[in-house]
Amino acid sequence: MKLKRMLRAMLLSMLFLAAFQQMMAQNRTIRGSVSDEKNNPVAGASITIKGSSAGTAADSSGNFLLIVPASAKALAISSVGYNNQEINIGSKTTLSIVLIPPSQALTDVVVVGYGTARKKDLTGAVSTISNKDLNPGPVTSPLQQIAGKAAGVNVIQVGSEPGSAPGVRIRGITSLVGGSDPLVVVDGVQGNMDLFRQVPPTEIESVDVLKDASATAIYGSRGAPGVIIVTTKKNRAGRSTVEFNTTASVDMIRKKLDVLNAEEWWQQAQKYNVPASENHASNTDMFDILTLDGFTQNHAIAFGGGAEKFNYRASVAAILQKGIVINSNFKNYIGRIQATQKALDDKLTLTMNLNSNISNTIGSPASVGRAAFTSNLISNAYVARPTDPVFNADGTYFTDPNVFQYINPYAVSQEVSNESGANNLFGSLRADVDVLKGLTASWFGSWRKTNAYAGYYLPAISTVSTAIDNKGIANISNNRAEERLMDISLNYKKTFRHHRIEALALYEYQTQVYQGNFAQAKGFINDITTFNALQNGDLSKVTPGDVSSYKNDRNLVSFLGRINYSFSDRYLVTASLRRDGASVLGVNNKWGNFPSASVAWRLSQESFMEHQKIFSDLKLRVGYGVTGNQQGLYPQNSTQLVGSAGVTYFGGSQITNFIITQNANSDLKWETRKQANIGLDFAIMNNSLSGSVDVFKATTSNLLFNYSVPQPPYPYGSILANVGRLLNEGVELSLNYRAIKGKDITLTLSGNVSFLRNRVLELSGSINGVPLNTDYVGWGSNSYLIKGMAIGTFNVLQHQGINGVGEQTVVDKNKDGVIDQGNQSPDRYIAGSSVPKYTYAFTPYFSYKNFDASMLWRGSGGNKLYNDLRSNLSRFENLGKSNVLTSAIPLGLFTTKYGSDLWLENGAFLRFDNLNIGYRFNTKNSKYIEALRVSLTGNNLAVITRYTGIDPELGGGYGSAGDNGIYPRTRSIAAGLNVIFK
Amino acid sequence: MKKISILLVSAFLLFQSCTKVDENIYDKYAATDFYSSPTGSDVALAGVYAQVAGNWGGVGYAGADNGWYDLNCMSSDEQVVPHRNTGDWQLDFAQLYKHEWLPTHSIVGNTWNWLYKSIFTANLAVEQLTNANAEPSKIAEAKVLRAFFYYLLIDDYGSVPFYTENNITIENLPQKSRKEVFDFVVRELTENVVKLSATKGGQYYGRFNKWAGYALLAKVYLNAEVFSGTPMWNECLAACNKVSEGGFSLHPGAANASSPLGYQYFELFGDVSPADETILSIYTRVDIVGRNIYGVRNLLGPHANALFGVSGWNGTVTHRNYIEKFDNNDIRKKQFVWGQQPGGVNYSLDIASLDNPGADREAGARNMKFYMAAPLNGGGASNDFPIYRYADILLMKAECNVRLGNAAAAKPFIDQVRIRAGLAGLAASPTLDDVYNERGFELTFEGHRRQDMIRFDKFLLAHDFTPATAAFRKIYPIPTFALNANKNLKQNPGYQ
Repeated sequence: MKLKRMLRAMLLSMLFLAAFQQMMAQNRTIRGSVSDEKNNPVAGASITIKGSSAGTAADSSGNFLLIVPASAKALAISSVGYNNQEINIGSKTTLSIVLIPPSQALTDVVVVGYGTARKKDLTGAVSTISNKDLNPGPVTSPLQQIAGKAAGVNVIQVGSEPGSAPGVRIRGITSLVGGSDPLVVVDGVQGNMDLFRQVPPTEIESVDVLKDASATAIYGSRGAPGVIIVTTKKNRAGRSTVEFNTTASVDMIRKKLDVLNAEEWWQQAQKYNVPASENHASNTDMFDILTLDGFTQNHAIAFGGGAEKFNYRASVAAILQKGIVINSNFKNYIGRIQATQKALDDKLTLTMNLNSNISNTIGSPASVGRAAFTSNLISNAYVARPTDPVFNADGTYFTDPNVFQYINPYAVSQEVSNESGANNLFGSLRADVDVLKGLTASWFGSWRKTNAYAGYYLPAISTVSTAIDNKGIANISNNRAEERLMDISLNYKKTFRHHRIEALALYEYQTQVYQGNFAQAKGFINDITTFNALQNGDLSKVTPGDVSSYKNDRNLVSFLGRINYSFSDRYLVTASLRRDGASVLGVNNKWGNFPSASVAWRLSQESFMEHQKIFSDLKLRVGYGVTGNQQGLYPQNSTQLVGSAGVTYFGGSQITNFIITQNANSDLKWETRKQANIGLDFAIMNNSLSGSVDVFKATTSNLLFNYSVPQPPYPYGSILANVGRLLNEGVELSLNYRAIKGKDITLTLSGNVSFLRNRVLELSGSINGVPLNTDYVGWGSNSYLIKGMAIGTFNVLQHQGINGVGEQTVVDKNKDGVIDQGNQSPDRYIAGSSVPKYTYAFTPYFSYKNFDASMLWRGSGGNKLYNDLRSNLSRFENLGKSNVLTSAIPLGLFTTKYGSDLWLENGAFLRFDNLNIGYRFNTKNSKYIEALRVSLTGNNLAVITRYTGIDPELGGGYGSAGDNGIYPRTRSIAAGLNVIFK
Repeated sequence: MKKISILLVSAFLLFQSCTKVDENIYDKYAATDFYSSPTGSDVALAGVYAQVAGNWGGVGYAGADNGWYDLNCMSSDEQVVPHRNTGDWQLDFAQLYKHEWLPTHSIVGNTWNWLYKSIFTANLAVEQLTNANAEPSKIAEAKVLRAFFYYLLIDDYGSVPFYTENNITIENLPQKSRKEVFDFVVRELTENVVKLSATKGGQYYGRFNKWAGYALLAKVYLNAEVFSGTPMWNECLAACNKVSEGGFSLHPGAANASSPLGYQYFELFGDVSPADETILSIYTRVDIVGRNIYGVRNLLGPHANALFGVSGWNGTVTHRNYIEKFDNNDIRKKQFVWGQQPGGVNYSLDIASLDNPGADREAGARNMKFYMAAPLNGGGASNDFPIYRYADILLMKAECNVRLGNAAAAKPFIDQVRIRAGLAGLAASPTLDDVYNERGFELTFEGHRRQDMIRFDKFLLAHDFTPATAAFRKIYPIPTFALNANKNLKQNPGYQ
């Protein structure tokens, strides 16, 4: 039966094709070009015959060729970011179409949670960065492409270690332990920041950042820290493309610390009575030995095509990074394929995505050193005495047994194997069925699998003392995750008269499983097999902790509904409600409700605004919503559990020891974040100046944290509970000014600034009747969580001077003759916070004929940084075993008992982050090439700051900014090529 | 329309089955299930012993650093880790030595946390063993362990929060006076020690058998005057005599080439504690069960490397005034080394400074009592640590007799210990100072010195780098974080 029907369908379509070819004869051909008002071609603009679905798309030069039937009267031309246009064709055979962006800021389509909206209909605070605004140049993570592009979205890149991804904070630190990383959604697949690794930077169509709760509440308990939605490029119907992108950059060290050379070291050593036996009479620049120019390449090839009911796009990308520290590199290969098919008389749309990446990192060890100073490998180069040779006369690595846990950084760089990698896969399928007019039923399922491995071998020859003791340590770890998501939704759209209504009902089920194992062996007779054959180690040396594995899972069930209503495009209302149930929460609090509501008023549509000339667009938005947070919780936090804890000796033998691993809290519940937002979008002077202002206030309550409980009776000093409150409030402003817009020349000045105030409102309360008195919780070097203050507030001793014997004195604030270094000591004083009070960016764009240029300047300030590394490298008592900074000489400090504000520095900076110059070749006469652009990009060209460390961008966004030495942030110069073939 | 209703109904049914948000536990045990099994209760008792072995993070009675052992040794005159003028070592130890600790001192806090976690673990064991109707000797063992921890608590902190059942709210957790807790400890021990097994070694190696229980009781009585104001020398003597019923004798002290430091005496501090003299010791196997760092911590890198093939920490030293009290013929003096050593190290007996500028790299004599026993590495060795041994009991007997006015009766006890160490017996009946000094010679580095100095009224006297200090220093402060977490607690006098 089925077969028969299929055969008939095939026959019918063949007949149809034949008939179509017949008709061609009566058609005529129209050639045309689509350009914008600046005469730039609008590639990919869609050209359809009005009243039919037939059409084509403009190529990358904006040209198109369309065969139209005799009956056709008009063409409809559209492209994202431009006004739709209709053109009567009459008897014309050539057309020159100019598309106009009517109000650049307010016309785009914006991806919101579980759907899209026209930007002019938005009621929440959403920043959209389309692909033409993404930061160009060599990027290793898509986050680098949006740095500085959206107000209130702070991308923090700490160092340029190959493969290290930046962090991001949206409207500040929203949680202390519950996780402040935003939810990442790539083409509907939800995940954590690792999802960015699976997106080829050149394949991004747009990035939308949902900032306020009225926008994020639709993601309920995953939305509290904000949501970043990435939409990848899709091919348009009726168009084939082959696109090649390549960028290659040379990476250099922008700044290194100035330490003593051999001669200076010996001069100082004599002054401080360092015995001559510590001088090993070499002249070594360890930093220079360990570093070289890095090299980063991005290559991507993408191709796609499509017919009327079908389109696909496939791409392969490679990101290859060679670090500036020897033996550090990163490779990431990403492949993706995306296809859409329509069926059932266009009532069914199927969309499939398959996305895979394989990455591999060779890292220089992240944590090596002596008991007195442990940091990454490169920071150990500063510690090395310049008079120490790298090799002994017999060719073995130099080491000094008199220095406790001496390491030879060069030996570490050469002998340690530190490799990690991952292969990740996600796929999704989406089915949309038009059930009735305006009513769509959808099913969406996604499955993400990640597989990460790491291998580490620390051989005795590396000079690291634990390796010598153990005759080599090798370990391997494997971590797997599976994240599955399924949702079923109904979407209803209706427009009648002045009313427009859109409603969404959705059920979602998510389940995540995490598993892994770790194995370690010690005592190798040689180093040949590194971590590849643990069984070659000495198995009698196995100790507790050498073998372990784990498994846990979590699930989240959600029901949500949303209604959008607009009247006359003037008054807009959005309301949503989401109900989430999460397995990780305490038995008494599994479910939570997350409502939101927002309204917008487009004043510019009002009749009383008709005759004014100032505002071409004006919209006021007000929103309020509640979001939750549970993703940062580990499973099984709410129950008292017993786990193994090493080995004990009992009954005459060694047996596994079990302990209660955590205090129970069956009341563990959602961390909730309530956020109010008022925003104003405007465009004035005939759209040449547009922008947005947003004011928000967000309070996180039921704040998850490890609160201090009295011990006794608790076996541990803290318990994970929901007690405190956290406040973030701020103002965001973004502006876009088209200063010049001529036929051949444009100059656009854009920028944004955001001010953020952060407060820990409350850390105390009670749980199960036990009063909690949590305050002054250590949060980094001399920084704390203090009630009423910002996260990471420095509460520190005040430097007074250096006495005659080279010892630091500090101010005895309470004058009791004793310097107390306790957390709440009255001798400490409040000296600012590590969280920046303001961040800003300036992104001008200029084009002249085929040349274009853009810049990114960004910065932040109002914060302090604690320079641990300078403190470590400034004490002359260390001179016998290590080097010191040149700046230590004028300071003249021999020893100190204190961590003081002597090491506290202003963290403000302005970075010239990106300069890009491009030239587009004229390819009109080329047979094979549709478009060709070359570019030159400079990254991290300059940093203006008073901070004396390597780079003021630190801390990764947790508000604990101590500088214990970072992998240097590189300056890079890149050449890029973009070719689109015909 | 019908299609839609089918869709809705099926969707509804789907929701019903997909709204479960229960938690699955795959890789741990729920506490309630775990301890109600028979093995669970045994494991609960074993878990209390796991608290005793020393390890990183300041946990355990002895073997590692920054915990109970350092708190009770570094504040005495027997040892200190000085800050070095090479920038090594924090000041915590010098602060203890010089009696400059504050309520925020990390070792004061670590010890508190360790002891109260131990009491939680012991309470749990008592509860689980009782619920499981375990043998009375096991329940008694858990109770004796708990009494041991409370004894250590009042010894260091005076009046402390007291609880015997874990399921308790903070209002029902009074801070009991030192005397009240002392009375509890005495009562608990007298009731339970009799129920303990009399077996020595084997299954009971490293555990509280009857003899270890009486040794503990004797210790508690020995310090009764300090704890409660009333001396109990007779009771102490009686408890010591009970220990003697266990049939202990002093391990030989004779020269023996294959013994550590060349004498059999030092086998007492080796890998396995000899059964003849040891009453209770901590089983140690580095990186598996605890660790013993009291060898590696003391020695300078090349010295430890030459002897043991590991990198020494260059930490603990002993002041020459302490060492010079030893008779040159005393085999126990061999535990200290100075001058030229293997690996080209030359330790000086003098130490110029403990803090600023700090001691020279090679300054200070080093202790080798815990001559590193294999398996060993840079993180420590596997020497078992004696908590109670018979020499201590003999000296306690001597002390009680002297204090009771029977100096003549005390003499044989102290002489036994001296003769084993290669010395002659005392010329006359011992004085209190004789007993005090002999305890110093015999029990150095074994965790007794602070308690002894307090009991013999030596703790507040000036010595070496330490000035004379005020009486409140005889008790440590309650850690600041404990006071902050429990507002009902009162700080000890002198620390407010």
